[in-house]
Amino acid sequence: MDIFGSFALLLAFILAVYAFVAGIVAIVTRRPLLTKSARNAGMAVFVLVTLAVATLEYFFFTNNFSLAYVSAHSNSALPGFYKFAALWSGQEGSLLWWSWLLSTYAFWALFLNRKKHPELMPYVGVILSGVQIFFLTLNNFVATPFKVLAGADASGAMHIARLSDGSGLNPLLQYPEMVIHPPMLYLGYTGFTVPFAFALAALLGRYPGEKWIHITRRWTMVAWCFQGVGILLGAHWAYAVLGWGGYWAWDPVENASLLPWITGTAFLHSVMMQEKRGMMKVWNVWLVFVTFMLCILGTMLTRSGVVSSVHAFAESSIGGWFVGFLAIIFLVCFAAWWKNRDYLRSDNQLDSLVSRESSFLFNNLILLAACFAVLWGTLFPVFSEWVTGNKISVGPPFFNKVNIPIALFLLLLTGVGPLLAWRKTSYDALKRNFAGPLAGGIAAGAVTFAFGFRDFYALMCLILGVFVTLTIFAEFYRGARVIAQRDGTNMLSAAGELTMRNTRRYGGYVVHFGMVLIFIGIAGQAFNQDIQKELNPGQSLAIGPYTILSQNYDDIANDNYQSERATLEVFYKGKSDMMLYPEHRLYLASQVSSTMVAIESSPLRDLYVVYAGRSPDTNQPVVHAYLNPLVKWIWFGGIVVILGTGLAMLPNRRAALVLRPAAEGSWAEGVSGGHPSTLQAPARRSGADD
Amino acid sequence: MIRKFRRLVNRVATCVLLAITVLGFGFVTSAQQTDRAKNIGKKVKCVCGGCEDTASTCNHTGGAFSGPCDTAKTMLKEIDQRIARGESDDMILQNFVQEYGPTVLIEPPKQGFSWMAWIVPVVLPLWAVWMVWNVVRRWRERAALTPAGGPGVSADLLARARSEAEKERDE
Repeated sequence: MDIFGSFALLLAFILAVYAFVAGIVAIVTRRPLLTKSARNAGMAVFVLVTLAVATLEYFFFTNNFSLAYVSAHSNSALPGFYKFAALWSGQEGSLLWWSWLLSTYAFWALFLNRKKHPELMPYVGVILSGVQIFFLTLNNFVATPFKVLAGADASGAMHIARLSDGSGLNPLLQYPEMVIHPPMLYLGYTGFTVPFAFALAALLGRYPGEKWIHITRRWTMVAWCFQGVGILLGAHWAYAVLGWGGYWAWDPVENASLLPWITGTAFLHSVMMQEKRGMMKVWNVWLVFVTFMLCILGTMLTRSGVVSSVHAFAESSIGGWFVGFLAIIFLVCFAAWWKNRDYLRSDNQLDSLVSRESSFLFNNLILLAACFAVLWGTLFPVFSEWVTGNKISVGPPFFNKVNIPIALFLLLLTGVGPLLAWRKTSYDALKRNFAGPLAGGIAAGAVTFAFGFRDFYALMCLILGVFVTLTIFAEFYRGARVIAQRDGTNMLSAAGELTMRNTRRYGGYVVHFGMVLIFIGIAGQAFNQDIQKELNPGQSLAIGPYTILSQNYDDIANDNYQSERATLEVFYKGKSDMMLYPEHRLYLASQVSSTMVAIESSPLRDLYVVYAGRSPDTNQPVVHAYLNPLVKWIWFGGIVVILGTGLAMLPNRRAALVLRPAAEGSWAEGVSGGHPSTLQAPARRSGADD
Repeated sequence: MIRKFRRLVNRVATCVLLAITVLGFGFVTSAQQTDRAKNIGKKVKCVCGGCEDTASTCNHTGGAFSGPCDTAKTMLKEIDQRIARGESDDMILQNFVQEYGPTVLIEPPKQGFSWMAWIVPVVLPLWAVWMVWNVVRRWRERAALTPAGGPGVSADLLARARSEAEKERDE
């Protein structure tokens, strides 16, 4: 059966090479049949990689411990749910998973456009195949998941060995979110391949018009959304499982996932400059290229052991392959851009510094500054070692010091940018749009200051958050009021109508609002408290308004783990409020311990309790309690961002002009002859609606 | 007799007050030392090699005990002792650097090549802003030099544009 999986992967590799070569020949010779053949080969790769993934999953579910990968990442008692997720828990399996997601994207990109863009799609097919070849090379020849365990009998003859049980899955991965977090993040990483392929294809083929930028934007939004969801799920997993009371540690692997998301965000903003005014074409193309390169860099950082990370896979020589691939991508992108740079000439120039264009420009600069600061901090230990021979640590305080001011400036632009007009904004318009929200923000800051909050960054975050929220609501209010007055509907349905007429713009506002919630949630971190104490039954500890009374500790066991569970009664302002049951588990197969955190979450604060286990010094049970304000806002903000992105991807509803029975002499009489009728307004050009 | 008793009461009261003051001061000093030690502990990495945490936040998830390891405790104890000896924060940190190398610091020190870690993320974006500013200024100058008029617009296109603009205004 392992032969079947290996063979499927090998065939997938051969087909990807065929799709690549045949695609190039088809572009040069312009033979339609060869073009079709190359496309079909590209789509067939998906079927073969799916077979390989299904084979590996079959091995996991049938406990086939003759396979090295299965025996290293699973065991018989592992619940089926986690056997499924064990596929991507190690280097080889996760690379196969990468290939499968990439082939899925490639399949859909080729299938959905099989009858569209005949000049563009052959290039897209070739580029997608090129990326697939790289990953299938790794799957087949560098990190194959179908390696069997070898044993030798007394005579020295080699045979396939089969272990009685596996080593089990890393306990930290045995959490429901780990089943969904990696696929989401990988959907983001791999998803950025599609916009990259379209952008590079358009450049290589000098595809006329702006259609390619719309396609690129749409696919970027898909990948961006998945990447964002993946990052948030990862943060939530870190919070709920790792038991250190935080959700973001600026670990190199976390940073790596953030980088393409930031440049993707920059692209989603600057692309509007190209669609609306034909500007920043070079910038946009390079943003797409850089985003894809950062995806590959992130994957390399996770797998090569170049930087030390708690998330990284085992150190391996695979990093060299990624460096080579990155170099090839850069050279191809640079050559394509250099050869076709006249194709990206801007149609317009910037008219005023107080305009929507300039706000996008600054937004992009700030986003790239944030991206650079994160990348610089992540790689600085490596640079330092090269230059001085000393590996310097760059921990969370560095990232916080550098990135918090940048993030706050970005938050300011989130409020300012959308209210500036294209081309030029007058002073009166500025005053009209910003006076109210600014006053609201300052008032909120003053009230909070009066209540004793003194943390500068948290206060700034609140002021800017209120400012941005008010600008967003003012935008909805202004637009909805016009529709409500005209159609005689209430404000709520008018706001819904307004949103559906211009999903991209108002979906974008919803995303901004979600980001404000996330920022405020993060600002809450400034007021975190924690206490750690030995807590025997009958003893208690106090944190904020809570008192935690230890009642008892009992043992729980099943086939997978044995656990010591604390029973804690929580008093809120002296009154018994709830029971919490944090656990400390020992997973039997791997003999690795893990904590199961108990979290009581409310919009105002999280009471986060970890049972750390028995102190090695005294053998007494130790409880670590944290009081983390506003964390729930982060998760809720994430949901709002996802909803907003979904909204922005919906097609616009065409405006239906309902003509009421017209007053005598009105213009409507001339159109409808005085009878009520419904006219379809002309469809708006996509991209002209922001 | 009464005078003697008063004197005794006064002496006892003075002693009690003195004791309270000394003990209170001692308590406060000890509390301050602990907080200070914790803050210094947040600036140095736990050197156990099994985690990426600071000495103050060491938390071995996946270990038999999910709390500070012996190494972190020893480091914190050392910080406490050095504080008690009256050493400054910088001296304590320097001592750790001498003992374990610069990797022990959680953020790059502001000296030598490590200054680059701090300077570059500030200077490079500023340089980028300056570059963009120049590009924008050049664009605007070029736009000002462009002769008025531009490409001709047909009457048909003009009428359509006007009608669409009116519709948008009505919305």
